[in-house]
Amino acid sequence: MTSTLRNDFLSIAAFAALIVLAVPLFFGFDGYELNTFARYLCLGMVAMALALSWGTAGILNLGQAAPFGLGAYIMAMHLKLMNSTSMPGGMPDFMGWMNIETLPWFWQPFHSLGFTLLAGLLFPAAMAFAIGAFIFKGRVSGVFVAIITLAVLVAIQLLFVEEQGYTGGQNGLTGLALLTIFGVTIDNYSLNFYYLVAASLLIVTVLATMLSRSKAGLVLRAVREDPNRARFLGYDVSNYEILVFSVSAAIAGFAGMLYTLVLQFASPTYMSVSFSLSIVIWCAVGGRESLIGAAIGAIVVNMLEGRLSDVFVEAWLMVLGVLFIAIVLFLPRGLYGLAVSVLDAMRSQDKARHGTTAKTGEPTRPGESASTSPTASLSAGE
Amino acid sequence: MDSAIFFNQLFAGLSTASILLMIAAGLAIIYGSMGVINLAHGEFVMLGAYATWALQTFFGLGMLISLPLVFVAIGAVGWLIEKGIVSRLYNRPLDTILATWGVGIVLQQAITLGIGSQSRFVQRPEIFDGNLFFGDLVISNYRLFILGVSLGMLLVTYLLLTRTEFGTKLRAVIQNREISECYGIRAERVYGLTFAYGAALAGIAGALVTPLISTTPTMGTTLVVDAFLVVIVGGVGSLVGTALASGLIGEASAMLSMIFNDTTGRILLLVAIILLIRFRPTGLIPQTVRG
Repeated sequence: MTSTLRNDFLSIAAFAALIVLAVPLFFGFDGYELNTFARYLCLGMVAMALALSWGTAGILNLGQAAPFGLGAYIMAMHLKLMNSTSMPGGMPDFMGWMNIETLPWFWQPFHSLGFTLLAGLLFPAAMAFAIGAFIFKGRVSGVFVAIITLAVLVAIQLLFVEEQGYTGGQNGLTGLALLTIFGVTIDNYSLNFYYLVAASLLIVTVLATMLSRSKAGLVLRAVREDPNRARFLGYDVSNYEILVFSVSAAIAGFAGMLYTLVLQFASPTYMSVSFSLSIVIWCAVGGRESLIGAAIGAIVVNMLEGRLSDVFVEAWLMVLGVLFIAIVLFLPRGLYGLAVSVLDAMRSQDKARHGTTAKTGEPTRPGESASTSPTASLSAGE
Repeated sequence: MDSAIFFNQLFAGLSTASILLMIAAGLAIIYGSMGVINLAHGEFVMLGAYATWALQTFFGLGMLISLPLVFVAIGAVGWLIEKGIVSRLYNRPLDTILATWGVGIVLQQAITLGIGSQSRFVQRPEIFDGNLFFGDLVISNYRLFILGVSLGMLLVTYLLLTRTEFGTKLRAVIQNREISECYGIRAERVYGLTFAYGAALAGIAGALVTPLISTTPTMGTTLVVDAFLVVIVGGVGSLVGTALASGLIGEASAMLSMIFNDTTGRILLLVAIILLIRFRPTGLIPQTVRG
């Protein structure tokens, strides 16, 4: 077992123990309390999706909320239809208010749960594929990717708010049924539901880690450090970028579907610029180089938001802002970077104490020395 | 189509463009010279608006007298933020997005807590009340005044960059920071002043738009996205490009929302901008200096 593999295995196991055992134990296995935490896990998953493209490949996607929102709406469309069976023509109530006569064709297939689940993953991915192909084949990079993804996000949100008759407009999709899968109805305030979300997050964690450790992941890291050099070595950089961009969108779509299940509604605020920037913030707080770090960043920031808004009813956002500036200034690699340097310090102290000078040849893990911060090569002007 | 509607819309577009230009000019200077993506720029606009409101409400100062005071005050805020936060991040430009976003939140909250979130109103200068009429075309004097100020500021900025010692130093630092430091230019001072100047421009923009839109703590958020699009479309580091792009975007949004509706117009505009960035990532007028 190589040291990288061992570390991945250990960190995933620790993360699993945290969300499967420690957290439910803390909340006394109470499904109602755990519902809030399930929400954090969904947000953790979308942060992980961003870490995959930003941390691994250096693609700063400011529109990560778009695939998340699409996933959320896709799930909500199915649940809305399930709740509208008694309505005339099986039409959702808000369509009636907008004088829409028949169920639009693109709502029809969402009667099927199988189709919905597939669409929630594949539609965001396909969209990301199209956008990714469009921008990466043109060798757009750095801040321009950030601006384009942001513009796409704003356009999609405008469209969803505008098309009230088809999307519920500003109100979003509310009044949803509970999810029924294989005849079992899943209550979003149950312990089982929490485990469904936790298991989903763990599966995504494992798959995303496998991707980032695969050959494609290595190439992507090379792209992050220097796209031209990767190109000179004969790699088609854009294909790898499109790949990670699409996978990241699929994960975000999945997170969005779960999010709708947790909150029982889909709202255009899921696709707002401020929400999308929040995802970036969570990633930065947790440490964008680490997938689990990003997820933990999302969980910590959201827990903190909950706490701070209790303690400082008025000023909590201000406290959050200050905290955030401090993290960017003093912990550029986020909580993950802090953890790594603490571990390294402990290890070297340990070594000094035992006087194991013979073991100096121990290889340091790649990508974890303090000098290889991904931002170093991402100069905005290039 | 009625030609009066068309010309009125044309002027509305020009008016939007002039406001965009003022906001974007500061942003373009900051981004073009230091590569800092200043997400707090909208909050500088907001602070400028509130400063004008405060001067009018508490000291009874008219807007025209307030303008220089606002310029200095917001410039000072910008200078402090550059010294305290942004200057520590020059070697990691993408992190400035995150840090300035945090600064934006803090400024917004400071105003919300200190003054309240309800909207405030500022009286425009009385000498600019009324309208000019050209047949069916109605032109508000005040909007004309804003157009004049923004063109004036563009000219001043251009002269500042090309005709003064400060401008020469700034251009030297942009081209090569290390070598200009070897020649005795204190790059960190140049950066500090540039950031302050950019912030001050935003403050003036804020002061001027207050009579047109209601002043709230969140007013900057929507403005900054548009201003950013202008900077990118115009081409990084090119003032002329920024001016051209604000004209183009202002007019395009006015025309598109006349032909379709506001939302569709905006979506089409965003799509057009995306296409432009994709096929012309250097912007309308690319920088021709060696990097």
